[in-house]
Amino acid sequence: MKRRNFLKNMTLASLATPFALKGVNYQGIAKKLFNYSKSAEDRVLVIVRLNGGNDGLNTVIPLDQYGNLLVQRPNVIIPQSNIIQVTPEIGFHPVMTGMRNMYNDGNLTVIQNVGYPEQNRSHFRSMDIWTSGMTNISETRGWLGRYLDSVYPNYPNDYPNAANPDPFAISMGYEVSATCQGLMSNFSNAINDPFATVNLLNTGVTNDGSYFGSHMEYLSILIDQTNQYGATINAAANSGASLSTLYDVNNPLAVQLKNVAKMISGGLKTKVYILNINGFDTHDSQVDANNTMIGNHSNLLKMLSDAISAFQNDLGLLGISNRVAGMTFSEFGRQIASNASLGTDHGDAAPMFLFGSCINSGIIGSNPIIPGSVNSQDAVPMQIDFRDIYASILKDWFEVPEIEIQPLFEQSITYYQVLGACNVGLNELVEERDKGIVYPNPAVNNATVRFKCQNEKVKIELLDLNGQQMKVVFDGNLSSGIQNIPFELEGLKSGQYFVVVNKETVKESITLTIIN
Amino acid sequence: MIPDQIVEGPLTMSMDPYIGTWTKQEAAHLLRRTTFGPTFQQIQSAVNSGMDAAVNALLQINATSLPISYDPAETISAIGSTWINSVYPADAASSQAHETARVKSLGAWLMKRMNTENSTIAEKMCLFWQNHFAATLAPDARASYQYHLLIRNHSLGNFKQFVKDMTVDPTMLIFLNGASNNVYSPNENYAREILELFTIGKGPQIGPGDYTNYTESDVAAGAKIFTGYIVEGLRSTTLTSPVSTYYDILHDQTTKQLSSHFGNQSISAGGASEYVNYIDVIFQQNQVATYICTKLYRYFVNYDLTLDVQTNIIPVMAQTMIDNNYEILPVMQQLLKSQHFYDIAFQGALIRNPLEVVFGMFNPCESVPNFNLATNSDMYVTIYYYCQTMGQSYGAPPSVAGWVAYYQAPSFSKLWVNSTTIKNRFDIANYITLYTGIPVNGSNFKVNALQLIDGLSFPDNAIAVIDDMCIVFFPKAISAAQKTLLKFILTGGLPDFEWTIDYNAYAADPTNPVVSSPVRIKVEQVLSRIFQMPEFQTI
Repeated sequence: MKRRNFLKNMTLASLATPFALKGVNYQGIAKKLFNYSKSAEDRVLVIVRLNGGNDGLNTVIPLDQYGNLLVQRPNVIIPQSNIIQVTPEIGFHPVMTGMRNMYNDGNLTVIQNVGYPEQNRSHFRSMDIWTSGMTNISETRGWLGRYLDSVYPNYPNDYPNAANPDPFAISMGYEVSATCQGLMSNFSNAINDPFATVNLLNTGVTNDGSYFGSHMEYLSILIDQTNQYGATINAAANSGASLSTLYDVNNPLAVQLKNVAKMISGGLKTKVYILNINGFDTHDSQVDANNTMIGNHSNLLKMLSDAISAFQNDLGLLGISNRVAGMTFSEFGRQIASNASLGTDHGDAAPMFLFGSCINSGIIGSNPIIPGSVNSQDAVPMQIDFRDIYASILKDWFEVPEIEIQPLFEQSITYYQVLGACNVGLNELVEERDKGIVYPNPAVNNATVRFKCQNEKVKIELLDLNGQQMKVVFDGNLSSGIQNIPFELEGLKSGQYFVVVNKETVKESITLTIIN
Repeated sequence: MIPDQIVEGPLTMSMDPYIGTWTKQEAAHLLRRTTFGPTFQQIQSAVNSGMDAAVNALLQINATSLPISYDPAETISAIGSTWINSVYPADAASSQAHETARVKSLGAWLMKRMNTENSTIAEKMCLFWQNHFAATLAPDARASYQYHLLIRNHSLGNFKQFVKDMTVDPTMLIFLNGASNNVYSPNENYAREILELFTIGKGPQIGPGDYTNYTESDVAAGAKIFTGYIVEGLRSTTLTSPVSTYYDILHDQTTKQLSSHFGNQSISAGGASEYVNYIDVIFQQNQVATYICTKLYRYFVNYDLTLDVQTNIIPVMAQTMIDNNYEILPVMQQLLKSQHFYDIAFQGALIRNPLEVVFGMFNPCESVPNFNLATNSDMYVTIYYYCQTMGQSYGAPPSVAGWVAYYQAPSFSKLWVNSTTIKNRFDIANYITLYTGIPVNGSNFKVNALQLIDGLSFPDNAIAVIDDMCIVFFPKAISAAQKTLLKFILTGGLPDFEWTIDYNAYAADPTNPVVSSPVRIKVEQVLSRIFQMPEFQTI
């Protein structure tokens, strides 16, 4: 995904569609294309895998479903008063203060109920589906590997080279990531310690066309790449920096993310970093018998939340936060009802997190509905297809044209706005980021208006289509920053409304659909 | 680089007994696949005895040693005796210290077996089953020992009985939550994995919750069937070993309905042995034999299941297993004696796992730690951790599916090596050849280069030395240029007769370091080179 290739992609896209449009200012488009590809070229995606099947219902807690959750999972549920309220409808596990702060700062998105149709509850099959981005059993490539194959069809032959001196992807630890599996090789390099230098002996062997020969060629290329990539990774890590003081040296994910920050700030052009946390398969002892707020799951979420928030802090201090975005994923969520071992069994859909300062909005998707009585083995049904999220990331973040994304996936893609907030000119970017939103939208019982203000007096009104004031949501002084103001929708008829934010200098009007 | 799909596959699709040439090349292939690194003499001896006898001699499970107390933290059992039936102290800190000491002893025991009990298939079979059932260590080392002993005792035995015994093994009950699975709240973990991974295997999903060979409802039914067992005596101060105990009150007394994939059979309440009835029903499906034979094939022969293999090889193995009521030994006999097994396409078709790397370096040199008990044991514990840094921690497979290199398409055994682990492979190779060796308690453990060289056919002949070493360490012949390079290292670039002179001087006075050191160092340099060649990374 070097500049040349991104330019190539963008050129193809511009040939495919915009020339057909009337009245298009070609100069303008060309300039924009260059800007687009330039920004996409420098972008980095950080993927954190929550291995084992994360219990989404104890991570992002649907507050409006608490009563039924209490019935179904009394021995693992977090006490209501200890849940961190994030929006009127959503709360986080109490240890996730770091991610809550990220949310409030506009750096975290929650995508609810992510999965795929006919969820497979085998860890291994489902992880294969998530890493390949396909439910088709015969697909052996990863979703990123498939994309990279389409751009670099000869990899790993003759890589690294002058145009592509750095590894395309780095998998932190001892294993390469299945997300980057290509047809002939894996695009990720396993790096446990970017500071350990390598210079391995390569004896040079040939491929005689046998299984043995294929291994010889694989090993020979691997050794060459390890030496060459090792040198550039090492140089980047050594010239890079990490400025945040929030990393906990005892948090292994934080230690790895700190190294990632150093590699990125040191100029490594690697596009994708993959990290892993094991232990989410919490069939038993998910929570402590005497206190559901502590225990194995709590430790894992704390590790995740602390590490990601330290990383985000670091990116800001390093001035590279607009170049880095991240996502978490897990092979499935867990069942609604808990078991007697203080745990939960394999389920279906679960939330994903996206993070970074270029995310579009806070919450995508609505709360799952937890029925009053559930059948054994019931779980959260899928609402959003994870493959659509992958496709949307490729579109928003790497700015791959839609015409090239669709062939990478088997489903007809529905795009979501996920990471596009930085995809406009500099001024527009600031405006886009500061623009107010109302969520959820459409809304049922309550909604939250989110906007940015200075230290100023703000009045927020809810108006109907005729401009009739239905209620005053807020009237008072606010300190500077991003604000989230929740409000009730009781007694309002279904239809279109306006939420108007009157600041001292500017007035913003946001459309809201109410369903009651 | 070409994709594996178009690699030249095997040509021989017969499971009839192999009748082709029986030279060191074929015998070494057999031994590399069934042991952790044969010596030259083991290879020669297998050639002499013939294929049939060589296979029969390998297919034995001999009695093994016991894990021995050696760490000073162990105070209940005497140092030098075994702790496998020793209670734990009451004090929590001391109990934990004993557990740590015993786990180290257990780890040393597992490594020592691969290092010193290398004349049969036993250790390769044990690793196969550890990868198959893939339990991590229990919180009580005595339970972990029982689990590994169970594996060893059944490793060439009856697969059906093996699964039954494993189902109520304390370590397994803890690992997959069987110990907390009861009528009040069934826990599906074991019920799922016994179908998906241990017996019948998961087929493609053909409908909601339907995985061809079983359904989600079978998982739920199985969870109920397995209810009632708990584990007692963990780290007990009075019980000499943890035990699985059945409590009827915890058992689900309903009749459990299975899906059409099991002929809509139902399992009626059967108390403590109800699970046995269920496992018998599972094993009525011939798919169980197909599933386990496929796994044996991938482990011992090749990861690539070509259409030919699926059509002509696996069904023959599975039929042998069914005809023998799920005995494993007849299947292994047939496989290791088959024409298919000796197809040249399989030489070097697998990349060595980390244990095969480490013991593939030590064992052919008959290198065995020979210090005091504590140092020997810590040496093995250190080797255990080296293997962990290369991606294989024997007591802790990464998941219940085992190590990814045994199941993850399309790379399979290639997944053992990446930029981190290849470096660790080369580091340890240098450490135990050119450098000081593995340092523990002031002692150092290296390859035994002189032992290796003394066991070759003509150790004073440089050309023969390199030929023999290639047979020992490489699955396929290497090029003439590579051999010349190795000989160049051995002779230091001098004429071959200089090696003969040096070797004979050493042979005449083997305890004199003045004449033995030059020989040892030369061989160590050759070994260092060999261990870092891509060819050595395969078996």
